[in-house]
Amino acid sequence: MVFAFGGWSPPFGIVWVLDKLNVFLALLVTGVSSIIAVYSTKYIKERKHRYYTLLCLLTIGLLGVSLTGDIFNLYVFFEILSVSSYALVAFFLDEGAIEGAFKYLIVGSITSLFILLGIAMLYGLAGTLNFADLALRVSITPAYMVALGMLVAGFSLKAAIVPFHAWKPDAIEGTPAPIGAIFTAISTAVGVYGILRVLFIFNLIQLNWVLILFGVITMLVGAGLALVQVNVKRMLAYSGISQIGYVIMVIGFGTLLGLTSGLYHILNNALIKTLLFMGVGVGIYLTGKENLNEMGMKSTPLLICVGIGLLSLSGIPPLNGFVSKWLIFMASWEVSPLLTVIAIVASAITLAYSFKIFSSMFLATKRIEVKIPRTLLVPVIILTVLCVLIGVFPQIGLNLVEPAANALLDQSQYITAVMGG
Amino acid sequence: MFEVYVGTVVVALIGIYCMVWKKNMIKKVIGLGVFTNSIHLLLIAIGFRAEGIPPIVTLGNINYFALRAVDPLPQALVLTSIVIQLSVTALALGIVTLAYRHLKTLDTDRMNKLRG
Repeated sequence: MVFAFGGWSPPFGIVWVLDKLNVFLALLVTGVSSIIAVYSTKYIKERKHRYYTLLCLLTIGLLGVSLTGDIFNLYVFFEILSVSSYALVAFFLDEGAIEGAFKYLIVGSITSLFILLGIAMLYGLAGTLNFADLALRVSITPAYMVALGMLVAGFSLKAAIVPFHAWKPDAIEGTPAPIGAIFTAISTAVGVYGILRVLFIFNLIQLNWVLILFGVITMLVGAGLALVQVNVKRMLAYSGISQIGYVIMVIGFGTLLGLTSGLYHILNNALIKTLLFMGVGVGIYLTGKENLNEMGMKSTPLLICVGIGLLSLSGIPPLNGFVSKWLIFMASWEVSPLLTVIAIVASAITLAYSFKIFSSMFLATKRIEVKIPRTLLVPVIILTVLCVLIGVFPQIGLNLVEPAANALLDQSQYITAVMGG
Repeated sequence: MFEVYVGTVVVALIGIYCMVWKKNMIKKVIGLGVFTNSIHLLLIAIGFRAEGIPPIVTLGNINYFALRAVDPLPQALVLTSIVIQLSVTALALGIVTLAYRHLKTLDTDRMNKLRG
């Protein structure tokens, strides 16, 4: 589906395109942000009007990036998304939040400018800004490769791939927990989407050892650093980095199975991370502590929900994390069995830090009796049910993800749809 | 034309140097502005045409227009980008103000509570 703004036909005006991949991402963004909007009504105690203004802006940015079919329009929405993220990181206005926000702002602005530089070079070389029109004109020459490199580097910072990951735990430590969920669940997904879309324009979705290498490093470093954290939000942030490593690795394979498993893992990572951030957020809301050693509490429903989330994160069979990890193992076995072994090792480390969170929250010697407000508990339960449901019936997720992977591999269909044959 | 591109690169490098190596927060924000403007300069240089005419279609010869008119698109892009840069700079300076209230200094070396 193509929507041309102001009736200007595609190569000239701004278009919004809704293909199978964009549908998948837009559903993810709207789903997660609406659940977070409900959850935040209770979680945010003061200055709610500012919080919701920024949250809506962030959602607009994420949706715009996922729906647009014009590369400069993508930059504009990317900036809307970034600016509202910086403001949300600084939301609590305490020292840690401000420090995280300033670091994120400097690093994030450099990123956005590299993306702008890449766009400027692409425009200078190809003379167009429309995705489909660009796809028709680009070629594999050194000048184009420089522009491609700038764009991919920019988006990989948003996706927090390891050499560019340092801002993320710092930023997430200061934010409210639901915003941490948005950052790890969908901001990264949008970053990965950016990488995928740029590679799609250049028709370069194929076996790519650079992406595989970065994916493997991200996977191991993220998991290893998550193991040593004591702040629960930082631990989840590193866990999110590690999960994105899997996605980047399988995107590097360039096969249909690889892309399917990668997108499926984005979906599952979004569900699990939102669930965990919200579940842990309930603990932070009630105890006021973020340190793992001080968060002990007694609550059966929260124990079940967070427990399921953590098991799913480490890929235990009847849950959704297992489905996508199994697909990832199969996809990596086709390329190189060594990669499967590395992925399983990272998965084992995931289990270790998952157990650390679980034991310090629910098995600690000093636990306090808590009563959880219903507004906080219901979104967590909804996400838990979704996790189990997708784990038991993997076809639900597969129906959404497989067409998206197919759309990525078929460039001509996209061009025909936008340019009108 | 070549000089403009070289100038762009030099200005961009000055901006990046200022953002990465300077310890003062305000100077980092200034560096951000310099880097952004270098990219704006590049965009304008891409749309440049020697002895161009304004890209407004009049009743004159359309072939002459196509031959001589400058490309209006980069200028529109730069206008949009300037507005974005304005908002980012305003937010950055707001955050710097708040950081100054907490730290009583603008030195980024004192920002060492969080470590990557």
